[in-house]
Amino acid sequence: MAFKELELNMGPQHPSTHGVLRLKLAVDNEVVLSIEPIIGYLHRGMEKLWENLTYPQIVPLTDRLDYLAAVSNNLAYVLAVEKLMDLEIPKRAQYIRVILAELQRLASHLAAVGFMANDIGAMSVLLYCFQIREGILDIFENYTGGRLTVHGMRIGGVPFDLDEKVTAMIRKTLAGIPEKIRDIEGLLNENRIWKHRTKGIGLISPEDALARGLTGPALRATGVAWDIRKNIPYCSYEDFDFDVPVLKGGDVYDRYIVRMEEMRQSMRIIEQALEKLPPGIFRATVPHSLKIPVGEVFFTIEAPKGELGFYIKSNGTDKPERVKMKSPSFINLQSLELMCKGNLFSDVVGILGSLDIVLGEIDK
Amino acid sequence: MSKTRSFLRKFLLIDIFQGLLITLKYYFSSKVTIQYPEEVQPPPERFKGLLRLYRDEAGEPLCIACKACQRICPTDCFDIEGERREGARRMWPTRFNWKLDRCTSCGLCVEVCPTDAIRHSDAFRMTSLSRGPLLFHHPEMYLTGEELQKYFCGGCLR
Amino acid sequence: MTAQTLLFELLIPVAKIIAVILYPMIMVIVMIWLERRVVAWIQGRVGPNRVGFQGILQPTADALKLFFKEDIIQREADAFLFNISPHLVMFSSLLAFCFVPLGESFRIGGYTLNLWVASSPVGLLLVLGLSAVGVFGIIFGGWASNSKYPLMGALRSVVQVLSYEIPIGLTVLTVVFFSRSIDLVEIVNHQQHGKIWFGFMLPVSFIVFWISGIAETNRAPFDLPEAESELVAGYHTEYSGMKFAYFYIAEYTHMVLVSSLVVILFFGGWLPPFPNARFFSFLHWIPGFVWYLIKIMFFLYVYVWIRATLPRYRFDALIKLAWKWFVPLSMANFFVVVALKYLL
Repeated sequence: MAFKELELNMGPQHPSTHGVLRLKLAVDNEVVLSIEPIIGYLHRGMEKLWENLTYPQIVPLTDRLDYLAAVSNNLAYVLAVEKLMDLEIPKRAQYIRVILAELQRLASHLAAVGFMANDIGAMSVLLYCFQIREGILDIFENYTGGRLTVHGMRIGGVPFDLDEKVTAMIRKTLAGIPEKIRDIEGLLNENRIWKHRTKGIGLISPEDALARGLTGPALRATGVAWDIRKNIPYCSYEDFDFDVPVLKGGDVYDRYIVRMEEMRQSMRIIEQALEKLPPGIFRATVPHSLKIPVGEVFFTIEAPKGELGFYIKSNGTDKPERVKMKSPSFINLQSLELMCKGNLFSDVVGILGSLDIVLGEIDK
Repeated sequence: MSKTRSFLRKFLLIDIFQGLLITLKYYFSSKVTIQYPEEVQPPPERFKGLLRLYRDEAGEPLCIACKACQRICPTDCFDIEGERREGARRMWPTRFNWKLDRCTSCGLCVEVCPTDAIRHSDAFRMTSLSRGPLLFHHPEMYLTGEELQKYFCGGCLR
Repeated sequence: MTAQTLLFELLIPVAKIIAVILYPMIMVIVMIWLERRVVAWIQGRVGPNRVGFQGILQPTADALKLFFKEDIIQREADAFLFNISPHLVMFSSLLAFCFVPLGESFRIGGYTLNLWVASSPVGLLLVLGLSAVGVFGIIFGGWASNSKYPLMGALRSVVQVLSYEIPIGLTVLTVVFFSRSIDLVEIVNHQQHGKIWFGFMLPVSFIVFWISGIAETNRAPFDLPEAESELVAGYHTEYSGMKFAYFYIAEYTHMVLVSSLVVILFFGGWLPPFPNARFFSFLHWIPGFVWYLIKIMFFLYVYVWIRATLPRYRFDALIKLAWKWFVPLSMANFFVVVALKYLL
């Protein structure tokens, strides 16, 4: 019995699409011919909503975009506003921002690796990753009070100072992480079944990746050494000494290895920032009713999932004229079809997991 | 790695045993489950619990009805009116309605309040059996503890 | 009809039949609880622990829930095949249990009580054949669901089960070569008279048999046809309520059957460790079927342990593993064993 071209639907409700994503697959005898992602199931009208809110009011709502890495969204937005305002941020605030952003990168990569492993079948890895992540979310809870919707940035700085308790907690959590990451790598890196499911799957060449605007760990796994923290430093990242892992394979395995290595580098950055934390104020004074003169800005940062950017156009009032968010997952999703072509449809879940998309970001 | 060594690794399933030993180690380690509701983790100091109004030592409301929280709230949760009484320099709130179902726990109102009247408490058990209790009026904003639970529902603390 | 004939010819066999139905069912209930608890413990959390003491009533709660669910059947589905396929899968596994010996024979008075329902000189062949009859239930289930995804899942399951039957047959040949009998009771007895158990004497056979057994029962890492995160949810997608429970129970019964086979063929069945050493003769005080249960529980633990640890194989690699690796390996193993036996 030969199946001709079948149209399959990985519906919006599915255990492996990371959120409400619908994938229309055309499959010929198990080999994927084309994939069409259909998005919009989580659209909440954020960008239109923001046109009616003042600049400080928008910050807590940016938490809800990439809900697995809330602080990165906050950081991108406040950096964009501060650039529009030409505001100077105190050094201590910048260092605390770096610490929070790198902690959030750790948490986001742990969730990504955990979910990818769970989709491919190694269910215990998800739980181990989330145990580590719980430690990091506890740090956020002690710092601002929120675990997932952290609201850890304000326009002008950070909401609170890093006191003894939070610093001790960060050091303690960081001390316990390398051993657990080694456990996860011991479960996955050399495992023949993992290598069989991930090596050579979801290949993309660097030229195709650049042509489709792929960013983040997926791009660095194809061999292109592009990390905004190194190439266009922002928020004092140039003060820190860290490496950017770049691999050449372009497959799912390499994306996984890039994420694990980035976790290690994030821990390095946090340790350096804690050592070198300068004294000073942690928040520049900014009026609550903030009026920004006419202008526009587009500012991008290296979020855990890729290049996250905000375009803000101000019109002199206290509410923005237009805010547009460039979300990495939305652009990365374009590469899904090229990565999946020619692979079996059992691999689609693995490739989707390695791309690390979050629907909150895509649909806004 | 030499060819024989990698062949032996493959044949003797070394990588699989390595993974199995790691999970065995976790099998014998302590478990992280917290048996709620018998054990409850106390929330940290800055925990963004239910918003509560507070009074000063004399028993007077700290809130001066300046409506700063109403202006800053992104989701429009507040409805405040105030009055100035005879011979007083400050205002008192006559109406302070707060909608729990709109609150996103962003904490902006707490930051903005000039008198520290509205603060996050550590209450997080906010289930109620109907929508009525989700709209708090002025006296209800001061309820805490047992009375707060009774206000929401039967108060079984789950 | 004397009281003696009544007892020996009617009541005891009926009791044995009831026991052979209850024994896998009880093992299944234990397995459901065990699986959830052990997987949870491996993941660093505590499994279900509220329903009974430490959660032992959880399987009952699950069964009750499934019992009360609506029994849906599609309009165009083939009703007869749809209804009998769960029963077929269960029936084949349960029938195979009739030939599996649980322990040594007791002597009570003048009567020898055999701890098996039927002892056949070709017991091993019957057990292997009957467990393969379950394939019919899978095909009927997939076909009768009248939907392309269950059908694809059913076909994959069937191909998987049939492919892994061959290494099972070939590795069992090495055991039979030493025991010179395919009567399961004789194989166990031979492991007592022989020096070491077949599992230690023929490790390659044991490992290939064990992995093929895991693949036969559609368990991780070979559970692609029925994994939750895959596109095709397998042949039991369209089943709900008690019929789904049947498939579920039948899978666990098959697991217990495969574990029993491993224990009997390779690890001495009901024999205590070091059965011939006089130093360990105190171990004989523990009855045989307790040893048997201990060994089966160990292998069921290993089933769950493997499920919690390893990722899944993709389907084509699964089949490639069977045909390109296990079949040549088990054939080569057979020839090497034969050569070694004649040289040594």
